[in-house]
Amino acid sequence: MSVNTTAAFGAGPYRIAVDIGGTFVDAVALDESTGQVRVHKTSNTPDDPAVGVVEAVLGLPVPLDEVTVFMHGTTLGLNAVLQRRGAATGLITNAGFRDVLEIGRGDVPERQMYDLQGVRPRPLIPRRHIGTVTGRIDARGAVATALDEAEARQTARYLVTECGLESLAVCFLHSYANPGHELRVREIIKDEFPQVPVTLSVDVAREYREYERTSSTVIAAYIRPLIDRYLEKLESELRRRGFRGSFWVMRSAGGAMSGSFAREAPLASLFSGPAGGIAATSYIAAQSGQGHLISFDVGGTSLDSCVIHAGGPAQAYEAKLEHMPMLGPVFDLRTIGAGGGSIAHVDDGFLKVGPESAGAVPGPSCYLRGGSDATLTDAAAALGYLRPQNFLAGRMEISVPAARKALTDNLAGQLGLGIDQTAAGIFRVAVSRTVGALREITIERGLDPRDFHLVAFGGFGPMLGPMIMREMRLRGVIVPAAAGALSAWGMLVSDLQHDVSQTVIRPLDEVMWGELEPVFAELEDTATRTLQAQGVPDEEIGITRLTDLRYRRQEHTLTVPVPSGASVPDIRELLDHEHLNHYGHVISGQAEVVTLRVHATGSGRRPVQVTGPGDWKDGDRLEPDFVAQAYDLVREMPCDHGFYTRDRLPAGFRHSGPAVILEDTATTIVGSDQDLRVNETGHLVITQRES
Amino acid sequence: MPQEQRAELDGITLEVIHHGFLSVAEQMRRTLVRTAFNPGIYEVLDFGISIYTPELKLIAEATGIAVFLGANDMALEHALRHVGPENLRPGDVILLNYPYWSSAHTYDAVLVAPVFMPEPDQHRLVSYLAIRAHWRDLGAKDPGYVLDSTSLHQEGCVFPATRVMKGYEFDSEWIDFIRFNSRMPEIVLGDLNAQVSSIRVGEKGVQDIYARYGHEQVGATIDAVIAHGRRLVQRRLAELPRGSWTASDYMDDDGVSEDPVRVAVTITITADEFIVDFQGSQDQVPGPINMPFGATVAMVKNIFKSLTSPDAPANAGHFEQLKVIAPEGNLFHAVYPAPTFTLWTHMVATEVIRNALAQALPEVGASSAGDEPGFMAVVQEPLTGESFVISNLEGIGWGGTPSHDGASAQQNPCETVGRNTPVEVLEQKAGLFHESLQLRPDSGGPGEYRGGLGIRRVVQASRPGEILSMKKKTLTATRGLAGGQSGANNGFIIYPGTARERRLRMQRAPLSIGDRFVNLSGGGAGYGEPLDRAPQDVLDDVIDGYVSEENAWDIYGVRVRTGNILELSPERAARSGQSGAKTARPHGNGLTPPAHGRARELGEHK
Repeated sequence: MSVNTTAAFGAGPYRIAVDIGGTFVDAVALDESTGQVRVHKTSNTPDDPAVGVVEAVLGLPVPLDEVTVFMHGTTLGLNAVLQRRGAATGLITNAGFRDVLEIGRGDVPERQMYDLQGVRPRPLIPRRHIGTVTGRIDARGAVATALDEAEARQTARYLVTECGLESLAVCFLHSYANPGHELRVREIIKDEFPQVPVTLSVDVAREYREYERTSSTVIAAYIRPLIDRYLEKLESELRRRGFRGSFWVMRSAGGAMSGSFAREAPLASLFSGPAGGIAATSYIAAQSGQGHLISFDVGGTSLDSCVIHAGGPAQAYEAKLEHMPMLGPVFDLRTIGAGGGSIAHVDDGFLKVGPESAGAVPGPSCYLRGGSDATLTDAAAALGYLRPQNFLAGRMEISVPAARKALTDNLAGQLGLGIDQTAAGIFRVAVSRTVGALREITIERGLDPRDFHLVAFGGFGPMLGPMIMREMRLRGVIVPAAAGALSAWGMLVSDLQHDVSQTVIRPLDEVMWGELEPVFAELEDTATRTLQAQGVPDEEIGITRLTDLRYRRQEHTLTVPVPSGASVPDIRELLDHEHLNHYGHVISGQAEVVTLRVHATGSGRRPVQVTGPGDWKDGDRLEPDFVAQAYDLVREMPCDHGFYTRDRLPAGFRHSGPAVILEDTATTIVGSDQDLRVNETGHLVITQRES
Repeated sequence: MPQEQRAELDGITLEVIHHGFLSVAEQMRRTLVRTAFNPGIYEVLDFGISIYTPELKLIAEATGIAVFLGANDMALEHALRHVGPENLRPGDVILLNYPYWSSAHTYDAVLVAPVFMPEPDQHRLVSYLAIRAHWRDLGAKDPGYVLDSTSLHQEGCVFPATRVMKGYEFDSEWIDFIRFNSRMPEIVLGDLNAQVSSIRVGEKGVQDIYARYGHEQVGATIDAVIAHGRRLVQRRLAELPRGSWTASDYMDDDGVSEDPVRVAVTITITADEFIVDFQGSQDQVPGPINMPFGATVAMVKNIFKSLTSPDAPANAGHFEQLKVIAPEGNLFHAVYPAPTFTLWTHMVATEVIRNALAQALPEVGASSAGDEPGFMAVVQEPLTGESFVISNLEGIGWGGTPSHDGASAQQNPCETVGRNTPVEVLEQKAGLFHESLQLRPDSGGPGEYRGGLGIRRVVQASRPGEILSMKKKTLTATRGLAGGQSGANNGFIIYPGTARERRLRMQRAPLSIGDRFVNLSGGGAGYGEPLDRAPQDVLDDVIDGYVSEENAWDIYGVRVRTGNILELSPERAARSGQSGAKTARPHGNGLTPPAHGRARELGEHK
């Protein structure tokens, strides 16, 4: 099924992006010469995800041999870790330090704080599969004890031959300062077992803190065989059907990498699913000149939000997965358990919404798949926001009577309220939870949420977004074109990127800074060669240097960009500025350089301007598709709403609420106190009407 | 808002307003973490934030360390009693660290502030906010930490509830006073500022809630939230067995003498009360391990909450059924001028309370190693010769439970979100070169469900300085349950393998270049008869190296060689034939004092 727009599609060449979500596979095609997009959705195929991806691609009105780039985001690695379905993996580490992985930092997840019988999640590798080797590098990178090569060989043989492991991780203390022992151990393993993939900690993250580095290396080794097989299969299936372009994979921190690189470095794509939506939001920020945006992606079970300001999305260089740390660049997301499937229930007089979700099966009651809980989706159906004949373009049946019955049975009686009030109440509670989360992610960066636009997407983002705006007095809500498949759309506008880093701990002074130049140069060289190997011509490669700095005796660091030719006082000023922004104060005295980073970009493909349909002139009239009753949250009563299908709305269209905008997988509710316009690039922009 | 006039509140408005308060507490927490100067606050979360009604009822809380739960209640009461609520004006901030009032030691500084509505509402008082955070230095007798004070007056300067900010302006004289009394004034004043920033965020958030929903609706919501908390706890309390249970243990010493210190508690559960009575514990001691009463109450709240409302955000309603008894002058109710600096007594006491409870509620589980067996090092910087303090929290083994093995190498149950310091950081920053860091095989107490393992860490100093061992419990064993056995003890060995080798408890020792030490954290105790442990689990433990082949045979009755089970012991076979194999048998009641020094003199305690 494709969304029809009025402008031309079909000139080619094309780019395709495919995102796998919890329920659907979204495929989006961009016509590079006209800037038009097409979307196709299919159900996902969890048993063999490549099948669903190929089906989605074949459903697009695009000949595969005219596709220049295929872009893909996948949660395969993430799910393998969450479900413990990765490869049988072994770890080789220093003699005397076998338990770094199991000991970790000793802390329990915060949600278990009051659990006095609690146990942390188990490591991915059992102790029996952790081998040790004599050899030690000290904190300055000097060899304190030589590597026992015979022991290394013996350990590798034990893990592969005796234990039957199919993937090996190697992490030694202080390898960030001197990778020699790790590199040598890889040679030894390769010599013995050329077929076994070996993942070194220095290749995953050349950064200090042994537990975090070990954990990252182990996650990478654990998912590597799986990702390798999947990407290989997917690429060959596409090639067999005539695809001749570049095969790219989305990175967790935005940008893309070649498929072959992704197979070697699977950690970089671990969080690639939600990354597409944030990449799209930053693209919209650049396109619209809006400096302050919050991405607001609400799906069936959860809501992801990311702050985008001062030119880019909030980034972090460490993430956690089931309490296991992972070093590497990621978008700094806040996730809360609120989505269309969130179940409402009454707890001792209080109406609660989520975090339990009805999921895809049995799903909300109105889906008629056997669910009987009252969910946010049921509330939307009961209030008249979801039309049975329009939902998912008529592909999925929804029942308003079933929704109203679920609300009556589960909630309305206990609350002593009518069905409409109960349904509206579910939205009020969902909004209050969300507002709290958005206040927290802005305030922790010292920002005022009222300076922000919300970029709302996913099935329920465009419905909740305008309600959030009213509550938080945001500047506006932007519902982007292809809001229901924005993650895939965001991949279309991403180019190749690569990040490398190295921990170098030393004081920030003239002498030391001078010594760091060759380290930066080497990192740049590595990054450049990585992009070249993925087919990027030299002249297209852009390099940004960054460094993690801290005040002496602090433990936490801040990352600042290093402009070319920056002097030591310049860098110090950058630290002070960033520290003031993050922590509200500056500290005098010595500063330290902790880690050097190089971020490289380059594709030779400028993002194409995506345009909306037609133009709207003052005095034009556009009748709604139909008028129907829906609940007005401001007046607290049902009233007439004009319903418009989104693809009929031309650029420049203006309308005063209330109104409902329908599209394939999302519904936008414009409140009776709000105004809507369609901007020149086809995004809906909703603002609070001046009263 | 149209709802403004509604007399009775619906469940939706209740939830929305309640969530508003919880979010304000969370925003305060994030502001504190964002702006604090000392890593204890932003890395180890050594703080507690609370929002109260004008009647001093807890509405919402954002805790860092669990044991700070509700510690602000008593601090707030004392602060207001001392200052007089009628003397407070908008923008005032009170600083309190007098331990017997603040419910912690002197370096946990509590700020208290009233929240008044802005002008149009005639400056109506709507709330109090309290933030406690650990400060780095307020001029106690030693840098870093004080391990052997014998009076409050060796523990830094004291603020008995002092208005350091009046009408949104700092009192510059008090700021000067702090500046001149701290070894690290910049960091301490930075943290003071961070706490004030957090208070301002909270003040604005609370004012917005009242402005938006009106006093009547907000008041009704708070009543409903507290009543909800009360009902939740009442329901859970009604499910608990009724009766009275006692347990006791000994701390190694008080930091200034060799005498073991008796900790005893009796828990009584009635239809509507949960009473925790410390009268069996000894009187306050000369050294700094005494607990202010408020800190005792906070410690008990942590356990009570984990039992009755672990998943609900804390409010006043959750604690109405809780009663804590400790007479003035008791170890758990220190009075002036008792020293209180090293009040990790709560870690030992927490396990004693759990031991008492476990007699009635086996799911509480066997004891953890019951200490925070970490260390601090004061080392000299190689270039400047300046002193530098670094610390490490060490994980311990937790106790087995009727459903699972205890966790290995996990932070103490009183501060579960604390973290150890990476080896690479200890080596890079402090020259503490590690020879090894590993789990201790066989340290987990044997049982059907085994206790978790402790850690063995061997370190060699490459810079001169001093090491501070922080152990409170190295002499008495952990308590197994239902036939489970003790785990290995905590310990600290300085200068191992030399003529100077000795064991440290809570003591300092000098470090020269090349000096070595071994830090040992204990294992958790086991639950259930070891002979009832599934043979496959014993085999897995041997293969993973958690349990030796010797212990597998001697204690568990499973002979394992080269990864296979060779035979099961006759005792095991006999047990599996009995129907009563799983019945609990009596275990040690903790009345035996530890075997060192003059411990035997305590034998008369029954």
